[in-house]
Amino acid sequence: MLLMTSEAHALEQPPETPVEAVLVRAVLSGDRDGFASLYDLYAPLVHGILLSRVPRAEVDDLVQDIFLHAFKKLHTLRDAAAFGPWIAMIARNRAVDFHRRSRETVEINDDLRGSESHESRANEILELIRNLPEAYRETLVLRLVEGMTGPEIAARTGLTAASVRVNLHRGMKLLREKLGFMGGL
Amino acid sequence: MKDDYLWDKSGQPDPEIQKLEEILGTLRYQPKPLELPEELPVSRRRNYFPLIAIAASLLLALVAGGVWLRVRNQSVPQPQHVEVVPTPAPIEEKKPQPITQKPVVPENAIAVNRRPHHKPVTTALSKRERDEGLAAKEQLMMALRLTTEKLSLIHRKTQNTTPASQIKNQHRVG
Repeated sequence: MLLMTSEAHALEQPPETPVEAVLVRAVLSGDRDGFASLYDLYAPLVHGILLSRVPRAEVDDLVQDIFLHAFKKLHTLRDAAAFGPWIAMIARNRAVDFHRRSRETVEINDDLRGSESHESRANEILELIRNLPEAYRETLVLRLVEGMTGPEIAARTGLTAASVRVNLHRGMKLLREKLGFMGGL
Repeated sequence: MKDDYLWDKSGQPDPEIQKLEEILGTLRYQPKPLELPEELPVSRRRNYFPLIAIAASLLLALVAGGVWLRVRNQSVPQPQHVEVVPTPAPIEEKKPQPITQKPVVPENAIAVNRRPHHKPVTTALSKRERDEGLAAKEQLMMALRLTTEKLSLIHRKTQNTTPASQIKNQHRVG
């Protein structure tokens, strides 16, 4: 009886609307501030995706470009709740375009300047992550750099939780091996 | 459990992962305001369905009208006539008349095939046929008016955006 009551209660409650869907619809009906909220929510995701693929100096400008592009093309998004996977795909495509258009460049980081700062070590580890297989590098950057949890990564990228978990563990295992070769942390 | 810490930061923290988080955290996204140009219009979903529906209805009405006219014309017997154009000597012009018998063609005349000119149909129609035609025309006009009203209603409905607070039955992807 109790079970039936709780089931009935669950059926009465409307399913929760994702905040992205509400914001996307608000923007499409003319609310520009709604897009600022979407930017605040998803900028770390886009930043992480780009950081795992393009030189760090280019990331900030590309983040702005991607959100500007998304604003112009928002009407083409069919499922408003799928804003995260949509903008993640735009970011990945933009990273591919960046490498296709730009000439081969060498990123000047603190290592080459001989600095031993905390940031130079960060750049060094980031370079190790960038050399991992593609499936692992994005998930690891989102987890270790952007500080997102596995469930958050799954929800925002549209990947399944199982895929994210596998990518995190296998990627971390490979990173540990590479860090071992480099004398650990 | 150490695996849980990597997954959702719960359980016993892994010192190596914590160290990595501390070092790599320096590269984390630093919030910056988004610079949207003022003149950039808000993108809106373009709904072409009403326009397509109106165009399709008009096309259908035109086709229906064409078919109806054709059927009506076919039901009226059209008199056949052959226009004879003599070449050498001018002859007195005679008004072409509907003939029931084969016309006598002079030997020096050249027969020219021409499409018969349509006479005004109204003269050949009986009163009953005319009444039927007018009734059919009224029905067609009524159908077109109804279609236009329905399309306008659809257009109005599709142009009205649903308030965000009324969005229901949406499910998160992934």
